[in-house]
Amino acid sequence: MTLPYLIDQLVNGLILGSMYALVAIGFSMIYGIVRLINFAHGDILTIGAFAGLAAFASADLPFPVVILIVLVAGAVVGMVIERTTFRPMRGSPQVTGFIASLAVSIILENLAIMILSAQPRTFRIPAYLNALVDFGPVSIRVIDLMIVVLAIVLVIALTSFVRFTKVGIAMRATAENYDVARLMGININRMIMLAFAIGSALAAVAGLMWGSKYGQISPLMGVLPGLKAFVAAVIGGVGSISGAVLGGYILGLAEVLFVGLLPPALSGYRNAFVFGALILVLLVLPNGLLGRNTETRA
Amino acid sequence: MQTWIKGLASAAVGALIAASAGSAQAADPIDIVALYNLSGGGQASLDVPSLNGVKLKAKMINEAGGLLGGRMLNVTAFDTKDDTREAATAAKRAVAMKGVSAAIGFSDTTYVLAAAPLFQTAGIPFVTSGATSPDLPVMVGDEMFLVPFGDDVQAEAMAEYAYNKLGIHKIAIWTDRGMDYTTGLTKYFTKRFEKLGGKVVLSDVFMTSDQDFSALVSRLKSTKGVEGVYAASGPDTAGIIIKQIREAGLDLPIMGGDGLDTDLVVSVPGKEMATDVYFTTHAYVGLDTGPANEFRKAYTREYGHEPENAFAALGFDAMGVVANAIEKAGSADPAAVTKALAATKDYEGVTGALTYPEGSHVPSKPVAIMHVDKGNVDFDETVTPQD
Repeated sequence: MTLPYLIDQLVNGLILGSMYALVAIGFSMIYGIVRLINFAHGDILTIGAFAGLAAFASADLPFPVVILIVLVAGAVVGMVIERTTFRPMRGSPQVTGFIASLAVSIILENLAIMILSAQPRTFRIPAYLNALVDFGPVSIRVIDLMIVVLAIVLVIALTSFVRFTKVGIAMRATAENYDVARLMGININRMIMLAFAIGSALAAVAGLMWGSKYGQISPLMGVLPGLKAFVAAVIGGVGSISGAVLGGYILGLAEVLFVGLLPPALSGYRNAFVFGALILVLLVLPNGLLGRNTETRA
Repeated sequence: MQTWIKGLASAAVGALIAASAGSAQAADPIDIVALYNLSGGGQASLDVPSLNGVKLKAKMINEAGGLLGGRMLNVTAFDTKDDTREAATAAKRAVAMKGVSAAIGFSDTTYVLAAAPLFQTAGIPFVTSGATSPDLPVMVGDEMFLVPFGDDVQAEAMAEYAYNKLGIHKIAIWTDRGMDYTTGLTKYFTKRFEKLGGKVVLSDVFMTSDQDFSALVSRLKSTKGVEGVYAASGPDTAGIIIKQIREAGLDLPIMGGDGLDTDLVVSVPGKEMATDVYFTTHAYVGLDTGPANEFRKAYTREYGHEPENAFAALGFDAMGVVANAIEKAGSADPAAVTKALAATKDYEGVTGALTYPEGSHVPSKPVAIMHVDKGNVDFDETVTPQD
């Protein structure tokens, strides 16, 4: 093993981790505010990818506009799911929402198969996004660079939004305690819907990035990344935004290094490794790296 | 999607017409079941054309007056949704139907293994149009027939082509460990390649659901002396593998089996990067024979576009071989059909002449080697296995 090889693999892990982080943030945010493990979150990634495909195919829109369209599409779908499925269940035991999210996930996947067909589709992006940028020993594609930069920018924007703006503070108050937040004049419904909108928009944008990077999308593409984002969120501590980001990067790097540093014969076990890590984290650090004890909520 | 819904709808209508016409003539239709993954995953890109081929052949036979003196073929299709449990369920439902003469289906060994044993138990022949494991008849039993060549034949053909024609002596092999088909390809390829004097310098594995191959590409890049890659991949990962290898700046020849016979191989990496790719597939593209040309014309007329890949032709041939056996047997009784199938000799199919050698249910058939160059998929040569 040589140094360039190691750098190569670290870059691979960073890119993969950025996409996991984007999905994991939304996952964590939604959990933080409604205590819902939303298994339909990965399917929003699929919707984002297909929205991106449609935006590219219907008009030759510039990439930033496509990103905007995908963000909006993800947010709208997230809000619709919240309004139609999860709001009527608010106040029910946690497991009700969890099972409902599985149902939503399966409905979305089957709808996608019926409407879009199961055949994988090609996802083409403008040529300039595929150009190579040199950084000394490694060269990176523009799209890969964009994935990393976009992940970091969105994370910083979101963190400052939640920490410093009035709406962000209201969201955190809602996450803390519905009743007290309501007494403070906060519209709980609006806050929860906002969390779904932001979380889903991020997952959708991750889907766009996923499609742009790998060039192929299909109705079930979101399943595995969705599950892995769940693992990332657990590693970081479910409910914590910075934890989700950290978990995403740790998972991306660990997965790539697992394949890259161990004998090739073990490459096939990468998913087993990821979910084995999940069990380990749950045993050793049940609240994740940056998570708080979330069971004490009023 | 829309085309296959239309296809299913027209099949249903066709079945109704065939059924009513049959009763009018007081001749019962001959029931054939077809099991394919029509929705859910990359298998659909092989299975949808396959079923199109099956239905086209049945339609042509019916239009020409049916079999056994006017009995119409009635094809009932089951969508097994890329799920082995669905495959087993569909097989159970098909076996429970009364009077099924034969079953046709699948482009992948894993699904055949889920469904065919149920037909074996019921004594109904199962003819796979696209699954290529030569061990299938051994694993399932005497009701199991293959229409395509076995994986041993196509993997050995590519090993010889790589070593002799492309001059590759040091190779890296990527294997999808999630499929019987791909692990089989690697086994046979490695054996023949090493026997020729070649060396496998890197053997890496992945799973069907993988999309990120960056770690494998980096390892490939850092492995010294690699002259080419044999990618034992199914259709789901075929395009992404080529894209990611090329994006890393590696211009090595990439080779594979008939799992690469999908348009994703060109569309996903794009024309520029879909180059220097070679794969083995079922010889029909290169065959300028009467049946092959006739098939291309009939398929285009029926579905409005050229056959997507060789699997359309294989489905067409699977139905043809079964119909041929029914005629030869003079009966639609499954036991008689099985016996006649085993005796198939020189059936002039679209994918070449098909004969089951004495005691074998895997045909000896020619293999086509395809060359992808700047997005153009061209026929290179046909190899007929000697042993």
